[in-house]
Amino acid sequence: MLTLVTGGAGSGKSAFAENLVTGQGSPRFYIATMEPYGPESRARIVRHRSLREGKGFITIEKSLSLADIDLPPEAHVLLEDLSNLLANEMFSPGGGGAAAAEEGVLSLCGRCKDLTVVTNEVFSGGADYEGETDRFLRHLALMNRLIAQRADLVVEVVCGLTNILYSRTNLIADCSFTPRYMQLH
Amino acid sequence: MIFITGPLFSGKKSYIKKALGLSDEELRVWAVWDVQEMAGKEDAAHLAESLCQVPIVIATEVGGGVVPTDPHVRRAREEAGRLSCLLAEKADTVVRVCCGLPQLLKGEWPCKEKRPDFPDERRTRC
Repeated sequence: MLTLVTGGAGSGKSAFAENLVTGQGSPRFYIATMEPYGPESRARIVRHRSLREGKGFITIEKSLSLADIDLPPEAHVLLEDLSNLLANEMFSPGGGGAAAAEEGVLSLCGRCKDLTVVTNEVFSGGADYEGETDRFLRHLALMNRLIAQRADLVVEVVCGLTNILYSRTNLIADCSFTPRYMQLH
Repeated sequence: MIFITGPLFSGKKSYIKKALGLSDEELRVWAVWDVQEMAGKEDAAHLAESLCQVPIVIATEVGGGVVPTDPHVRRAREEAGRLSCLLAEKADTVVRVCCGLPQLLKGEWPCKEKRPDFPDERRTRC
């Protein structure tokens, strides 16, 4: 099952995604894409680690080239998050560009049982961007659309609650996913 | 508590006034809005707890859009988001309003017949 989770800053999208993947079974892998540069990134990493503590995730820290990750076919994978991955591939030394980010995510799709991708709602704060920002936003939007098109479930998380943007019709019957009133805490 | 959220100028107050049949004056007594601006100034759990005493709590969604370069603005957005998560968790009803259109995220649709309790201390004030 492929799931795309989106939401703004502090919307509760990570907690939702973690709970969703926890409900999918074991083994669970957490692909952490954030590069630990600067105090804010490190604080964010610490916060996310404590959020998923005790949820049984095996953490794989990989900021580039997701196609290189070895996964068992029965893996339930949480990729957090798409915008970091894309920024790393586009702007970090050693990055393979937007194409590498896309290739990395698509390669994961075919190699695990469930993949949940967390992305970011960064498209409603303005429309006048230039240069690198514009290029990044366009690529991220394309990737969101590419994943959403293939996904079984697309969820926007709003203040910790779910706004289902798309759900395959028989989805609720064949997984433990409870829409709308899912309790997160 | 009824929690109303949605983007800036999306019609959050207009919606709840219409749904519950409230005048502007009544809204001022029943509701508190722009609570996203209160986030980060005190402990989020404590703030959410005290806001829960108000029948209608309204927050503007500020976490969308490109991540700001200013770290203070960045933190304020996140704190506002986390406050909204806490409020939504405590609320009986959560409605998100976009372009004036309400979307029920939790509980039951607010209606005149099921108005929340009017707190006594607020009644004496108005």
